[in-house]
Amino acid sequence: MPRLTLRRRRQLAGAVFALPALVLVLGLIGLPIGQAVYYSFTQWDGLTSTWIGPSTWTQAFHNPNLWTALQNNAWLLLAVPFALGFPLLIAMLLHQRVVGWKVFRSIYFLPTAISWVVLGLVAERFFAYQGTLNSLLHVVGLAHVNTNMLGYESTALSALGITFVFTMIGTNTMLFLTGLATLDTSLEEAARIDGAGRWRIFRHITLPHLSRFIQLAFVMTVIALFSALFSLIFVMTGGGPGYATTTMEFLIYQTGFAQGDFGTAALYGLILFVLTAIVGIIQLRLIGSDE
Amino acid sequence: MSRDTVDVAETDTSVERRVRARRAGRGALFVVMLGVAVVMLYPFWVMIVDSLKSENQFLAGHGFSWSSWRTLSSTIPVLQEVISSTIICAVSILLILAVGLPAGFAFAKLKFRASGVIFLGIVSAMMVPLQAILMPEFVNITRLGLTGGYTGAVLVYAALGTPFSVFLFATYFRGVPDELIEAGIVDGLGYVGALWRLIVPIAIPAIATVTVLQFIQIWDDLLVGLLFIQNTSERPITVGLAVLAAGRTTSIPALMAGSLLSALPAMIVYLVFQRYLVKGLTMGIDR
Amino acid sequence: MAEITFEGVTKVFAGNVTAVDHLDLHVADGEFMVLVGPSGCGKTTALRMLAGLEEISSGTLSIGGRVVNHVLPKDRDVAMVFQNYALYPHMSVAQNMGFALKIRGESKDEITRKVAEAASILRLSEYLDRRPKALSGGQRQRVAMGRAIVRSPRAFLMDEPLSNLDAQLRVEMRVEIARIQRLLGVATLYVTHDQIEAMTMGDRVAVMRGGKLQQVAPPQELYDRPANEFVAGFMGSPPMNLLRVRTAPAEGRLALAVGAQRLELPRAYEASHELPTDADCELVLGVRPEDIEVVDEAGSGPTLRTRVERREALGAEILVHLALVEAGAPSSVAYDEDVAITRPSVLVARMAPQARVGVGDVLNVRLNEERLHFFDALSGVSLARGTA
Repeated sequence: MPRLTLRRRRQLAGAVFALPALVLVLGLIGLPIGQAVYYSFTQWDGLTSTWIGPSTWTQAFHNPNLWTALQNNAWLLLAVPFALGFPLLIAMLLHQRVVGWKVFRSIYFLPTAISWVVLGLVAERFFAYQGTLNSLLHVVGLAHVNTNMLGYESTALSALGITFVFTMIGTNTMLFLTGLATLDTSLEEAARIDGAGRWRIFRHITLPHLSRFIQLAFVMTVIALFSALFSLIFVMTGGGPGYATTTMEFLIYQTGFAQGDFGTAALYGLILFVLTAIVGIIQLRLIGSDE
Repeated sequence: MSRDTVDVAETDTSVERRVRARRAGRGALFVVMLGVAVVMLYPFWVMIVDSLKSENQFLAGHGFSWSSWRTLSSTIPVLQEVISSTIICAVSILLILAVGLPAGFAFAKLKFRASGVIFLGIVSAMMVPLQAILMPEFVNITRLGLTGGYTGAVLVYAALGTPFSVFLFATYFRGVPDELIEAGIVDGLGYVGALWRLIVPIAIPAIATVTVLQFIQIWDDLLVGLLFIQNTSERPITVGLAVLAAGRTTSIPALMAGSLLSALPAMIVYLVFQRYLVKGLTMGIDR
Repeated sequence: MAEITFEGVTKVFAGNVTAVDHLDLHVADGEFMVLVGPSGCGKTTALRMLAGLEEISSGTLSIGGRVVNHVLPKDRDVAMVFQNYALYPHMSVAQNMGFALKIRGESKDEITRKVAEAASILRLSEYLDRRPKALSGGQRQRVAMGRAIVRSPRAFLMDEPLSNLDAQLRVEMRVEIARIQRLLGVATLYVTHDQIEAMTMGDRVAVMRGGKLQQVAPPQELYDRPANEFVAGFMGSPPMNLLRVRTAPAEGRLALAVGAQRLELPRAYEASHELPTDADCELVLGVRPEDIEVVDEAGSGPTLRTRVERREALGAEILVHLALVEAGAPSSVAYDEDVAITRPSVLVARMAPQARVGVGDVLNVRLNEERLHFFDALSGVSLARGTA
């Protein structure tokens, strides 16, 4: 009689197989969350930490930089409709399958492969005083509106937002195109036979079918907005001018590594964590309501 | 296709006019798509054109020169940085696969006590941005003395990539019939054998998806390389570029040449494995 | 090669669902045993317990005299053919067939030789380098068989191996599997829900229902002497007609009341069956569709007066659905919701296609008096003497 039954062996194998992943995720993601909570109540420079208590939180919320960063994040949310709308439009265009659509598809997706560091560098060229934007304005006869969007507090965030929209186009178009490909064409045909026009077909058949894909794209876009702008900000503006383009994630980096205030940075990290968690929960709700 | 032409076409009974309108619509569509293509190719155009100028030509706004390419390796240590990037990518991806494949198999086919909860926990870690845990992570890795070589960065990349790969593998393996594994068991395999000789070969497409996604992710990343690799001689290319760019002392043509060079590997991987990328992105909702 | 013995084998799943209830079954060495029953009857669970893929809750399971309750699948030396074949998609046909041998550590030459041998038996020789994806359904099925044959195991276990094939191929493979099994002489447990497979393939057939074994017998005996109403209704297509009747003995003669009609029975049944002697006892009368014939007048033998309700031409034969003609009361044919399938509200008779029968015709039909079946009205157990 062997030591273990087949069922036990299966369970044991399962536990052993899952263990490395669990350890890695717990150790490098789970544990730091817990530490962040602890350190958010301390004065911490990375070496020594002194317990201060909840006052760190009240202090943090009195810091105008936090509010500026949160405000910047909120303003950037305005980019989300564009980051979804353009890709949806482009996906619809590709879905018409005109000559060479596959080549177009590859071209549209290509920027997806490039680092946001590089895209940030290019965007800087675009918005620069001697950059493409001003050349374009010159060509259309608006030479007097010489812009320098990254140089002014009032416009730098918009430039960042526009760059963000551009960087999201590839991924979101890819998502929507896949969604359109899974659409049962017989549905469209049936609607056409029933006398529905193009708008009606789009509104009542295509769009509802795409809703899951739009939800996913929305969540991915918002999360990218909260946590993937670092590269762009780092090379384009360094968070400036002033704090004009400092978002939460950049504020964390600055507070921790420029000012050496690890405790406050950990606290800001938690705020960011809560923000993304909210988006995550919304996503779970949405997926849950589907099934 | 513009709405107007369509409406005209649909109220018109003449077949000929319909065909003509349709052709015009298609033509307009093609032009629009061409326009979008120009926008999407803009970054490449900038990189190519600006890198083909000397510093003076760039300031003047016109001219052509190979100088920035010729002197590239002395301006930016590209070779060294590309090697670093490659090592970091390769080791991180291997680690992600080594950890993700067995875990995906376990969660899909070898349910154990609390495996559902643990799976949920691992998968929800996907939603945690690195910045949220940046400070403790940095201090932990530094204290363990792992910022000296590539180890720290590799570990962080692996941890960040694991939740998605576990999710993707588990989803993929759920589609594999139980009987296949049972057939292996009856044929004399143990679970390690089943993993290695049945599951891994079957998972090649999923492995390709994870590899391509992670390669692009890691190759393109800045934050981890910036913080978790101390020695400038071990910097990956993205970090090298970003630091030089932020310093604002390096000539733009050289930066653009470096950028183009750094973008090439990811672009090639992307173009060759496009379909795996799409598959990974829409995993779980396109069925 | 070995015999297989289930002794009081029980499987209780989590949530207290008893899938197999005290199964006693013996498969002799070289025997082809078919385990048949409706879906969810526990037959597949029984097979999986034998394979070692499912643990046994209680009882004893032995292969070749060795108790294997706690033996791992790989150490049982049994080969299994799965319903969906479970071919390894990344291996060629030859690799699929040789995989178990390779794991066992046999030499390459040996594996090649055995695979070639099995392939020739199965007529797969030209496909050895193909991947399963490039094969037809029938070929895949044969590869699955090949994987089992190559190992020369002590027992073959087959789980509905033909259910994914189309009808024509199924008939072919039925013959093929039976041929191969006889050729190799390996004890085989074959699970199916198809009573035709059970009838045509098995040396013996075990009928299961709700986790319980109903009857084990050679196919013809199962057909001729079903142990209970369920077996009677399950084997044969269309199934046996089952009528709820009452005893009505008169002048010392056996007779039944079928609705308002009277059915005289031959004396011989007194000896062969344990029929109640009292009047007005309920029981179930079973008649196979082929044991009903049309007669001119109420002549000799048990006859009933019926009306044709429906007529189904099947080419080689016709099925005639009959309702009893009643004086006043409607059809008294028993109807019980629980066993509605096994007890249709009308009689079905199988007739030659030239029989001149039209819907609405009133016919006198005679039941074959030598082939009547009687079952207890409550338990459904056969009243024939000498059956379990």
